[in-house]
Amino acid sequence: MENQPKQWKKITLQIAGMTCSACVAHNEEALSALPGVTKAVVNLATGKASVEYDPAKVSLAAMRKAVADVGYEVVLDKVQLKIGGMNCQACASNIETAVGALPGVGRAVVNFAAGSASVEYAPEVTPISEISNTIHELGYDVIEKVQGQQALDREREVRQKEIRRQLIYLIISGTLGTLVMIGMLQPYWIFPQFIPEWLNNKVVLFFLTTPVVLIPGRQFFVNSINGLRHGVTDMNLLYATGIGAAYGIAVINTFWPDAGFGGKDATFYEAAALLTAFIILGRYLEAVTRGRTSEAIRRLMKLQPRTAHVVREDQEKEIPADEVLINDIIVVRPGESIPVDGTVVDGYSSVDQSMITGESIPIEKKTGDEVIGGTINKTGAFRFRATRVGRDTALSQIITLVEEAQTTKAPIQRIADKVAGRFILGVHILSLITFLFWFFIGFSLWFTPDSRMMLTPYSLNLVGSFGFALLVSVTVLVISCPCALGLATPSAIMAGTGKGAEYGILFKGADAMETASKVKAVIFDKTGTLTKGEPSVTDVIALNGDEKEVLHLAGVTEKNSEHPLGAAIVAGARDRGIELEDADNFDAIPGQGVFASLGERNLLLGNRRLMQEQEISIEKLIPAAERLEHEGKTAMFLAVDGNAYGIVAVADTLKETSAHAIEELHRMNIEVAMITGDNLRTAEAIAKQVGIDRVLAEVLPQDKANEVKKLQQEGKIVAMVGDGINDAPALAQADVGIAIGSGTDVAKETGNVILVKDDLLDVVAGIQIAKATMRKITENLIWAFGYNTLAIPFGMGVLYPFVAQLVSPELAALLMATSSLSVTLNTLRMRGFVPAVRRQPKSAAVPVKAGMQAAGQ
Amino acid sequence: MKNTNLISAIIYTGISLVAAGLFIAGTLPGHYTAVERFGGAAWVFLLCMIISMPIIIPLVRRKMQ
Repeated sequence: MENQPKQWKKITLQIAGMTCSACVAHNEEALSALPGVTKAVVNLATGKASVEYDPAKVSLAAMRKAVADVGYEVVLDKVQLKIGGMNCQACASNIETAVGALPGVGRAVVNFAAGSASVEYAPEVTPISEISNTIHELGYDVIEKVQGQQALDREREVRQKEIRRQLIYLIISGTLGTLVMIGMLQPYWIFPQFIPEWLNNKVVLFFLTTPVVLIPGRQFFVNSINGLRHGVTDMNLLYATGIGAAYGIAVINTFWPDAGFGGKDATFYEAAALLTAFIILGRYLEAVTRGRTSEAIRRLMKLQPRTAHVVREDQEKEIPADEVLINDIIVVRPGESIPVDGTVVDGYSSVDQSMITGESIPIEKKTGDEVIGGTINKTGAFRFRATRVGRDTALSQIITLVEEAQTTKAPIQRIADKVAGRFILGVHILSLITFLFWFFIGFSLWFTPDSRMMLTPYSLNLVGSFGFALLVSVTVLVISCPCALGLATPSAIMAGTGKGAEYGILFKGADAMETASKVKAVIFDKTGTLTKGEPSVTDVIALNGDEKEVLHLAGVTEKNSEHPLGAAIVAGARDRGIELEDADNFDAIPGQGVFASLGERNLLLGNRRLMQEQEISIEKLIPAAERLEHEGKTAMFLAVDGNAYGIVAVADTLKETSAHAIEELHRMNIEVAMITGDNLRTAEAIAKQVGIDRVLAEVLPQDKANEVKKLQQEGKIVAMVGDGINDAPALAQADVGIAIGSGTDVAKETGNVILVKDDLLDVVAGIQIAKATMRKITENLIWAFGYNTLAIPFGMGVLYPFVAQLVSPELAALLMATSSLSVTLNTLRMRGFVPAVRRQPKSAAVPVKAGMQAAGQ
Repeated sequence: MKNTNLISAIIYTGISLVAAGLFIAGTLPGHYTAVERFGGAAWVFLLCMIISMPIIIPLVRRKMQ
């Protein structure tokens, strides 16, 4: 990247219509072939292509055409603009021409009567501001009518459309294919008693099969022709030639039975119909199970407040959030979302930043503190000055980071794509060799008029050398159809994901499963992942009196407080069965603590500063406080009637299964690291408790992804386990992002693996399921390749010289189906699989050290 | 780009036609019917096109760049 000249640009294109890894290869090759494109990486899960290009040499239109030529579609962003000042249709035409000529605009339609324009554009090439400026320069007013979220709605629409399309095809091909199969079986065994004879009529079968080939099967022909034009082969081609040849022979033998293709009985309608149905089933399953990564961006965008209360000309006005300017003063009341990033200029409050920082405890905000757009104001009201707006806000940057991380893909996938391409090419070469051999040599050497097709009533006595060689050649194509190869991976992935779901572990796709199985390092986010993410009382130290009384008085003092630490103390007291009466007086001292009175007693609870300001001596409590702080706990001093009384320590506690999960990961030879924004002392204390040996401390939310990258640069496959939107870029950067159930929905959507429960043992179980699934995929691939290795020679007619029988395309299809069945049955064995970590009795769990447990528990 | 496509098309179609022609030539000494001769040539042409297109196109592109 550093060596690239400055004119190189990067664009992310949304591509519709991709169904498999071969589609990825199609698009990558089509885009890479364009002069001026240096790199094109297509991600199947996100449906996006990341293209590095020279705008002087290649245009967006050329990229769209290249993608369209291989059978797919570039979906552009769409914006609705309200245009003022148009007087006639000519104005509309002028705008259309000017906007349409911009390099990143795909289509511009201006409606004079409605005073609006609809523009399809690529924002990376031509931003909306450039479109607006162009219209302005022509002398018209223009306002954007829609939110950026429309792009996401359209993306989801495209995905749903593909699922619907394949479902319709599956219904058509499945229903008609079954009827054709029943019809073909009619003359055999006991079937004449049940199946009407007319269903075996070749013309009826022709009318049943033709819609299957022409409607659901059309995509294979179109895609393979488009692919061939760009020099790429995929399974579509094998499907197309197999289906096409089987169907072609069937049609010829139905209407021209004497043409030398095996006669009236040698029709292979069921081969063509069922082949199509099987392939469509695979396509449908793939479309359904593919990633829903755009949902993450959608949820992030939902956090962006729509309006802001801005003070302009001494008046408070409600305006759209995207119209807030830098240095605007914004008023925020309790319960409202903060519209943009800024600095507090007046007021005091606590703000829930969990959606951005992942910290569960609301953060106090006073004059001079920074606030983050998208977070929620909890208690007080305040005013702040906007410092970052629009695309510069922290939330927008997180969205961009997630989007970028999601457009990359593992290199191994590309190798697999190439292997698939070569396999198909090899089968066609084999088919040609077979044809030539039997046409010129085999037929004259070994053909006998009593030749038959295996397990069929078809006689070959009427077939000539061409018909014979063609049958064998087509059989090679059909028998080699990598249906089992195609099923090997998705069926195991389906089983693996189903097994995962049983345990509340949701994998988002094959790539997540594959990568999870190879994980060599796991990074855990601390807050809310290793810990519960809820502060609770951990220690109570009494100076004058018993611990219960200290907690009782602290609870009474904090009873009316809305501060999270206060709430933790109240909950801690109640959990221990302590009744908390109402204080007579209550007063919060911002940033320091609280004051209350109970009867004759004056109670004070807060930090050192509060004690110092109230001139209360806490020397005797200092060693204990320092020890607690060293353990990463917040020590709060309690004073009664002006005398130090005790300490209540509050901290986040480790989840019960954290230590056990880490021990299991170590047992699997997986390195475990912890990442946190905490200081190193606190982080190391917690890491020690759970047995983590590598600590990444004092990491800012936006730097977490970089830390993941550093670990990846050591050559490790890294899994990141986290929650909260602040983890989203790190989850996306990691080879496997594991979003834990206690996290927000956004982080969940960003992760490749979602843990429904809040149990870290599911991280271990998830990796074990992924490993078992990959083992199953390997077995399946051995089955499938083994089938092809054995079946292809039979398809080529090696047995014919000895038995005078050929494998018919029909039998080839059956063998192909059998291989698929064997793969499916092998996969079904996964139903009994139980992850090793879940086989162990609960008692085997390593107890969390007592020091981290709440005092008194 | 257009040149590349055209040159590629000329080459792979040429190869396929030559293959089909060789096939027909190969049938001349034998006793083959017209259906066998020309039907076979058509199948050879089709398979050769399928085989040669994905090989020739990237090759020409590389040479032209």
